[in-house]
Amino acid sequence: MRRSRYVDAARWVLVLVSLLLVMFPFYWMLNTSLKPASEIFLSPPTFISPNWSLDAYVTVLTQRPFARYFLNSLVVTLGTTVLSVTLAAFAAYGFTRFFPRGATPFVVFLLFTKMLPETLLIIPYFQLMSSVGLLNSYLALILAYSSFALPFSVWMLIGFFRSIPRDIDEAAKIDGASYLQTFFLVILPLARPGLVAVALFTFLIAWNSYLWALVLTTDASMHVLSVGVANMVGEYRVQWNELMAAAVIAAAPVMLLFSFLEKHLVNAITSGAVKG
Amino acid sequence: MRQWQRRRLVGYAFVGPVFLFLCAVVVFPLSHAFWISLHRTRGLATRFSGTDNYHRALTDEAFWHALGVSVQFTGACVALHMLIGLCLALLLNEIRFAKTALRVAFLTPWMVAPAVGATIWLWLLEPQFGVVNYLLGAIGVIDTPLAWLGTPKLAFMSVVAVDVWRGVPFVMLLILAGLQTIPRDQYEAASIDGAGPWQRFRYITLPNLRYLLVVASTLDIINTIRHYDIIGVMTAGGPAGATEVLPVLLYNTAFRGNRFGEAAAIGVLLLLIVLAFAIFHIRLTRPEHGSAP
Repeated sequence: MRRSRYVDAARWVLVLVSLLLVMFPFYWMLNTSLKPASEIFLSPPTFISPNWSLDAYVTVLTQRPFARYFLNSLVVTLGTTVLSVTLAAFAAYGFTRFFPRGATPFVVFLLFTKMLPETLLIIPYFQLMSSVGLLNSYLALILAYSSFALPFSVWMLIGFFRSIPRDIDEAAKIDGASYLQTFFLVILPLARPGLVAVALFTFLIAWNSYLWALVLTTDASMHVLSVGVANMVGEYRVQWNELMAAAVIAAAPVMLLFSFLEKHLVNAITSGAVKG
Repeated sequence: MRQWQRRRLVGYAFVGPVFLFLCAVVVFPLSHAFWISLHRTRGLATRFSGTDNYHRALTDEAFWHALGVSVQFTGACVALHMLIGLCLALLLNEIRFAKTALRVAFLTPWMVAPAVGATIWLWLLEPQFGVVNYLLGAIGVIDTPLAWLGTPKLAFMSVVAVDVWRGVPFVMLLILAGLQTIPRDQYEAASIDGAGPWQRFRYITLPNLRYLLVVASTLDIINTIRHYDIIGVMTAGGPAGATEVLPVLLYNTAFRGNRFGEAAAIGVLLLLIVLAFAIFHIRLTRPEHGSAP
């Protein structure tokens, strides 16, 4: 009994030390973002400062186009998520209900698509979008993001729809429901946890995507947050407090979203990703 | 119209949109990438050039160098992901208090955009004012500040470290899920037979996890070998090509060197590598047996 208490304590110490290592960069990001410019280059650096303020955030949002980047990220990410999940719901229903045998080769095809290197796809996308004049447009970004978001959401949703028993469809049919009624009124409500998880995930990967927007937006006002943040590194004199404030603005939405919906996140990863 | 014909038509209506859409956003661009890899553009003139681009890529030392860096980078990252992920999972598996909160906290690096995470690390590793140099100096590990991204060896280690920081949480969560599926009575039986912690790990945990570990590492190899963002942001392949993995070489060839045909050829070669692992992975998980996702 006593020995296991020591083991427990040692375990906790190890967990807390690892947690510290994992989380320290975020603490440093926050700490730097709150400092005034004059305090950034102090040596030794300050870990807590009486001069903490939100000035860098105000600068980033008013003097730099980060409010605009936030809007761009939001439009493109939400557009991609709504488009992908809607199409995916129809397809998952269609495949599991009408072509259960066809679903398997399709899932294999989706798995391959999910694994395509994005650096390869980015080249034709860049050439095609510039030849039709769609560079710097939300449409181009949403289409490009769908190339990775759609296979992903269809693949995940097929899994969720498979777990809904077919008997339920039969019962609805006997009650006189049409296919569309069955889909909207019976199956979709049952699939809601799956839909939420898939939507969350699609939102996450779209929000965090970088390379697509880097290549497909040449006009600085059309960048998304990830590109805006990374581009600040290339400036002549980097204002690290502003850069870290921008990083917080880019990272906070997904962190908040997922701390509220932690269960969905953990469930989705473990149910979806283990097998594929 | 017969019942089954009508049913089939309804089915097409449900799956049709996704099919067309996937053709438009994946299949068509992918075929266009092949097309680009077989053509050469000079100014406004594009002409068919057969396998010239492939020949050029394969005889260019830069390609073989990048392939070597990719193999080292992926090997180091995946090995560390799996090792640290396994250790953390074993550690967390026994903890009941604040279970989900802890998991989500550990998952944070994976939730943040890789490009943003890389930017944070650029500041941490800044040679003059970065906190990593300060902390290591304060505890006496280093005497003089290091230029983490300035020398080939250190730069390679740095990008590996950042990728490990970002990649471990996901592997950890997968392994944690695997650990929970191991029947507890196996451990109880082993304890009764007098097995110590190491024996329990060696003869119960590891055999039970073997399949999961193989699946997870294949998946991890696929994801790491095609990853661009972290190295793209931190070093763009430098210094002296020390971190120029294949995706970075591809990007630099296309968007810095303006040689799209050659870049597409490199991309197709990268695709073949990924495909080999993907086929292995799919054969392993066998979705046709109804296990996916």
